[in-house]
Amino acid sequence: MSLKSIAPGIVLALLAVAAPAMASDYQLLFLLQLLMMIALAQSWNLISGMTGYVSLGHTAFFGVGAYAGALLLQWGFPWWLAIFKGAGIALLVAAPLGVLTLRLRGPYFAIAMLGLNEIGRLVATLWVDLTQGGDGIPLSPARLPTLLQNYYTMLTLAVLATSLIAWVRYNRLGLELRAIREDEEAAEMVGVNTTRNKVIAFALSAVIPGAAGAVYAFYTSYIDPVSVFAPALNIQMIVMVLLGGSGTVWGPVIGAVLVRTLHELTWAQFPALHLALLGVLIVAIVLFLPKGILSLAPWRRRVRPDRAPGSP
Amino acid sequence: MHLLEPVLLLQFLVSGLLAGALYALLACGLNLVFGVMRVINLAHAELMLAGAFLTYVLYAWAGIHPLLAFFLVLPALFGAGFYLQRLVVERVVGKGELQSLLLTYGLSIILINTGLLIFASDFKAIPELQGALIVGDIAISKPRTAAALLAIALTLGVYHFLKHARLGKAIRAVAEHPDVAMLCGIDVVRMRMFTFGLAAAMAGAAGVMLTMIYSFSPETGADFILKCFAIIIIGGMGNFIGALYGGLLLGVAEIFVAGFVSSQWAEAVAYVLLILILLIRPTGLKGAADVT
Repeated sequence: MSLKSIAPGIVLALLAVAAPAMASDYQLLFLLQLLMMIALAQSWNLISGMTGYVSLGHTAFFGVGAYAGALLLQWGFPWWLAIFKGAGIALLVAAPLGVLTLRLRGPYFAIAMLGLNEIGRLVATLWVDLTQGGDGIPLSPARLPTLLQNYYTMLTLAVLATSLIAWVRYNRLGLELRAIREDEEAAEMVGVNTTRNKVIAFALSAVIPGAAGAVYAFYTSYIDPVSVFAPALNIQMIVMVLLGGSGTVWGPVIGAVLVRTLHELTWAQFPALHLALLGVLIVAIVLFLPKGILSLAPWRRRVRPDRAPGSP
Repeated sequence: MHLLEPVLLLQFLVSGLLAGALYALLACGLNLVFGVMRVINLAHAELMLAGAFLTYVLYAWAGIHPLLAFFLVLPALFGAGFYLQRLVVERVVGKGELQSLLLTYGLSIILINTGLLIFASDFKAIPELQGALIVGDIAISKPRTAAALLAIALTLGVYHFLKHARLGKAIRAVAEHPDVAMLCGIDVVRMRMFTFGLAAAMAGAAGVMLTMIYSFSPETGADFILKCFAIIIIGGMGNFIGALYGGLLLGVAEIFVAGFVSSQWAEAVAYVLLILILLIRPTGLKGAADVT
């Protein structure tokens, strides 16, 4: 990785650090949500974009983190510790689940993850003593971090998630994960420890949503099972990654910016229309742009040997 | 009344089978598409709701009874499925699971939200065919019985068709080995269009039945699709008749849990079964990928 390739990232991060000085509270909230979606999209990118194992239930970890964060805050932990523990609990939940579910290939894994998110939602709904069930948990304002604190935490998470992808992509782990995506049997035959690598990627991809879930609980100051174990959130992650280019470092960031802007322009007036448009977008990407927007960039064509003239 | 009385157990069993028949019809269509073209149709439950809303519109605007609407909804959904396959889904056949999952995910979002734009999110119901038959000591709801009998008849009819009809055999040949089927002179693309049309018609039929027994909104599909996944995984992915058994099993299991524990926990049955089967025997109880 050269300085040239990370320069745009540094510029973007500096802009984001400086943003609160000039943004209104409303704009700051928009940026906060954008950063959250970047963090979530990158997490999905790590497991699904890199390995091709499609997780349709990544919000399970977001929900676990949100509930852990909210409950720990209520029990008197400081907010930043609650976020760390939320991430830790998501990791503790994800590691054994990864060992179990990643034995499943293709559609079986996708469906198992969909089921896991539903189980998470049901547990949060039915375990009333702990979670207050469907009524949800309102958080008392006195203990909550400020908008600015939430913003910088989310910025940290987005930068961490993007750096994680950049780091993984250019080291051995990333190479092996992409080998799994292309042909798992072949990868295994040339000595890639596929199970270990998949579980590592899965666990890493659960930590950030766990932390982001806790921050979400803090900035909305109220959570319930439907709002955090939300399939709609999972849809957004998938669209962002695909739109930008899955398995790439900057694709999900570009995707998140486009989708959140579209969201901002249409959501308030036409919620159903907005989601229908997202659906059209998914179908269009799958049919016409399977490698994402980044694949259109002219400078990428020259360096990709698989796109050289004469190759199939 | 004590919970272990035989009459009550029988009542649960009958209610469970009646509820399960609808699941079975829906899941068989989903499984047929998967078996023939390895596409998991995440929009399958939305096709059912398309059938349900079509029935509702016919009832509300033209006063057509749901049982008659059946004969209009079935061909309509068949045609819709036929062309959906031709124009959209065919392009991702054989391209890997990610592509087809995402494509049908997109289709389902489009259908749900178009439904919301037209019908809003209120629940609709058709108050026809009510009441119950009393047989011995147990009560059997009339609409549920009608729906269940239709569902079972349709499912077995399609099964018979796949097993014995010339066209059905051609479809199975495509499922078994598309390239060889093509070499034998079978129009593979057309068979897939026909398969998707058939599955959509089965979903549409399930939609007609849905209007008779439940209230529904454009967002109702999510519960059903997850249950269908559980069912086809219980029965074996791609195994048509396995989905029939799986559907009936899930219906019965749900009613028993609702009766003995609580109706909220009944919702969890499908997911718990789903995860258990995936972990213990991912090919399903009847074995995977045998279209019949």
